[in-house]
Amino acid sequence: MPPVDDLPTLMSRTALRDRAAFERLYRATCAHLLSVAFRILNNRDRAEEVLQEAFMNVWHNASGYNPVVATPMTWLINIVRNKAIDALRSGKTERGSTLALDDEALAVAGDDALEPQRLLDDSLTKAHIDSCMSTLNASQRQALALAYYRGMVHTDIAEAMNAPLGTAKAWVRRGLDKLKDCLQAAGVTA
Amino acid sequence: MNYLLHERLDRLAREYALGTLSGGARRRFERVLAQSPVAGRAVAAWQERFTVLSASLPPMAPRDAVWHGLEQRLFTPSRKGSGWWRALGGVLAGVLLCTVVLQLQPELIGLERQSEALPASYVGLLVDSENKPAVLASSYRHGRKLTLKLLQPLKVPADRVAQLWALPSDGSAAFPIGVVPASGPATLLLSDSSEKLFFKVSRLAVSLEPAAARAGDKPTQPFVLSGHCVKLW
Repeated sequence: MPPVDDLPTLMSRTALRDRAAFERLYRATCAHLLSVAFRILNNRDRAEEVLQEAFMNVWHNASGYNPVVATPMTWLINIVRNKAIDALRSGKTERGSTLALDDEALAVAGDDALEPQRLLDDSLTKAHIDSCMSTLNASQRQALALAYYRGMVHTDIAEAMNAPLGTAKAWVRRGLDKLKDCLQAAGVTA
Repeated sequence: MNYLLHERLDRLAREYALGTLSGGARRRFERVLAQSPVAGRAVAAWQERFTVLSASLPPMAPRDAVWHGLEQRLFTPSRKGSGWWRALGGVLAGVLLCTVVLQLQPELIGLERQSEALPASYVGLLVDSENKPAVLASSYRHGRKLTLKLLQPLKVPADRVAQLWALPSDGSAAFPIGVVPASGPATLLLSDSSEKLFFKVSRLAVSLEPAAARAGDKPTQPFVLSGHCVKLW
């Protein structure tokens, strides 16, 4: 994740139509945000389209950003993630007709089952909540990881993990309960 | 708010923030969100929690075209005006040429997998100084991508880039589209839909510039490749 110390300043200057600040905001966050979109869409072209659309919104709606409600990075991730999830769910047919998967997409596809789990583990370690979260079993962790990193809904998760729908839902719920408790206990978020 | 209602709201908020709330339930919750600050705060709190999960994502630098496209879409005044139809007379030869190329080698732009009919799209064929085809550019009409196929390798000096320009039919200034790689196929992200960008464009050209052009830049070097750009229905 990029350094976040001056993002609030860049956000407020972007809201005042400062193009230079907007470009710095883009440069500081684009690599992280593209990664968010790419995990969901698994296609660099489409992820870059989503990133561009997201920053169109950022420019037009920066004045609606409220620093009391969210950090700039959370606000930005949310815009990108929502657009990527919309693109994923609306564009399944278009995805099928995409001509070529690039090398990165193939690399991720080959590592499909493991990658979300690994991303989750690394993030939990970084936030120092890995031991707290270790009381979740492997399925609960995998279900949470597929929902967050891949943008999967419960039916996708059930199918990917070969489990009944109700079970997949319960795994995600349990993962979320635990995440909230662990973050609270560690004082990371309220 | 009573405890049960609060619990239920928080469950919806987290499923919404995570993305697992979908379809009609998602839209209904969005209506609640628009009116309920409590729901908004619950969603924001969950989004903040999920941001922790993004900390391990490996950074992935977007290509320059994303920023250039953004600049173009946001900060370049749109070119509007009449007279686009004058392009038609001038490009008929190009249509014929392109159509011949496509009929002989439809796989060039992947058309054979779609259908017998040509989809609505823009196609440009750039030739070199000896009139030999060099670059085939194509884009679906409502797409935001331009696919480039190099028909011969481009000789680009180490300190230059092959900048692709669009030349409007009304004689107004050329505007930059993107950088053509020296070899291989490429996809350029466009700053707007093909239809909006190329509607009035009758020619494409490539010049060898010292650096990639940005929105508003004009060619500083002579064109080494050029050709007609036409719309196919």
